[in-house]
Amino acid sequence: MKMSPEYTKAQANMQPGVITSDGFLGNDERPIVEIIADDEAEMKRASLEFDETVALMRHLLNESRKGLGEPVTVDGKWIVQAFEARGFLASPFEDGIFRKINAKVTLIHEGEPTEHSILYSDLSLHLIEKRHFFQGKGGSFRISPAAIKRVLFAD
Amino acid sequence: METSGAIIQAFIAPLVIGGISAVLGALISITDKIVNNYGDLVIDINSGKRELEIKGGAALLLTLAENGIFIPSACGGRGSCGACKVKVVSDIGPHLPTETPFLAKEEMADNIRLSCQVKVKENFQIEIPDSLFNVKQYEGTIERIVNLTHDIKEVYVKLPEGEEIDFVCGQYGQFEAPPYNKIKTPTQRAYSMSSAPSDKNHLEFLIRLVPGGIVTTYVHERLTEGQKINVVGPFGDFNVKDTGATMIGVAGGSGMAPFKSIFNHMTDTGEIQTREIWYFFGARTKDDLFYLDWLNELDAKYEKFHFVAALSEPQPEDDWEGETGLITEVLARYLAERVDRTQPVEGYLCGSPGMLDACMAVMRQFDMREDKIYFDKFA
Repeated sequence: MKMSPEYTKAQANMQPGVITSDGFLGNDERPIVEIIADDEAEMKRASLEFDETVALMRHLLNESRKGLGEPVTVDGKWIVQAFEARGFLASPFEDGIFRKINAKVTLIHEGEPTEHSILYSDLSLHLIEKRHFFQGKGGSFRISPAAIKRVLFAD
Repeated sequence: METSGAIIQAFIAPLVIGGISAVLGALISITDKIVNNYGDLVIDINSGKRELEIKGGAALLLTLAENGIFIPSACGGRGSCGACKVKVVSDIGPHLPTETPFLAKEEMADNIRLSCQVKVKENFQIEIPDSLFNVKQYEGTIERIVNLTHDIKEVYVKLPEGEEIDFVCGQYGQFEAPPYNKIKTPTQRAYSMSSAPSDKNHLEFLIRLVPGGIVTTYVHERLTEGQKINVVGPFGDFNVKDTGATMIGVAGGSGMAPFKSIFNHMTDTGEIQTREIWYFFGARTKDDLFYLDWLNELDAKYEKFHFVAALSEPQPEDDWEGETGLITEVLARYLAERVDRTQPVEGYLCGSPGMLDACMAVMRQFDMREDKIYFDKFA
């Protein structure tokens, strides 16, 4: 799959040591357009809409900040915790900079936290919203559409 | 014939491409050496207080560190933390786009630069706080690791034999994780010292696991007792002012660190008996609390020391009879009803940027002066 110069540059920026020490691609060696296409197909199979997913993730990120660094229970469904650090991270697509805020969202079942959780940052949200990019497999901030379905849209 | 031609082509083509790549690589390397060779240069620090003779071409942050001058940096020179600010007196051209998001207008007007982004290509004159001359790198040994909660470890580091460190309570050190997994370079992160300054041969840190965090993951999953580790410090100007004013301290999680150092130091000096101190510590459940016995003992022993722990989501099994709610809510209640605000009051905060902002909003609401609220916003 051929990549535009913009995506080629973004893939270079995603390597370990450029923007973050461990990069955005984990051990995934696919071109990012392929990663995006595969995840878009998986989102479709899981009947997930990007807008709805991003809106819920942003809501949980905002709620997590209210805990002032400690975990908080949101809507009785999730325990969320914000981790904030000083500074900003640049988008690998060079289309913005984002505060260093991560949220860990853990699904609650029958009042107890489960082992199902997702971790994402303000930058991750931007990449999902604008580029449909969930990061490469094996990366610390990779979220698969399946994990999103399991944690955010559990029945 | 066609087959053998194809085989020759299959062998020759990669060789030709490889040869061209090698030549191009050599050319780039030679060009880089010529173009980026800025020769022998001098960095003048604080109007002649120190002069460094250096080879030009590298980032200012790295060049200074190689010469034993350590500028604080929380991201290892990647341009994402904005901590490594230095005043460059020489005219070295306009600010770079990678610097401007981290600089206020006044800082830009004052020639403040991010030292990780500025390359040394000519003789430089810079200004740094004199305190940075005291910053050193130590190769310490991990003497003890204690699990304080499910996600906070107390890490006690012994400095090399014969070496001592002088620091002020509230200052921080940069703790370095060596390369591991896909991380190819050492990574440093800033943590407040929790040890007392009188313990000059050791440094102690409280390190909370941050999911996805490079250094905290290393500390929680790989660090072992007896291991050698690099620590750089001391940094920071967060410290207790010698005013005698009532001290309102607020922390959560590993934000406990500077307060442990401060209260142990005050116990050593006797200030804990003479100064009014309120210490608010927030956690979600009882499992997230630690050092309770020590802090309750200080509260019981010293009339002017008041410890208030609050749980935001106490669980039934916690059997908690203490304060409940977010620490900001509890702080507001105490400022309204319990703390004597007719006396001078100072705020001391340690936590995430969000927690600091929320506490400052409460303190301002109770007419505490912003210039009397102290913190290090490095999270």
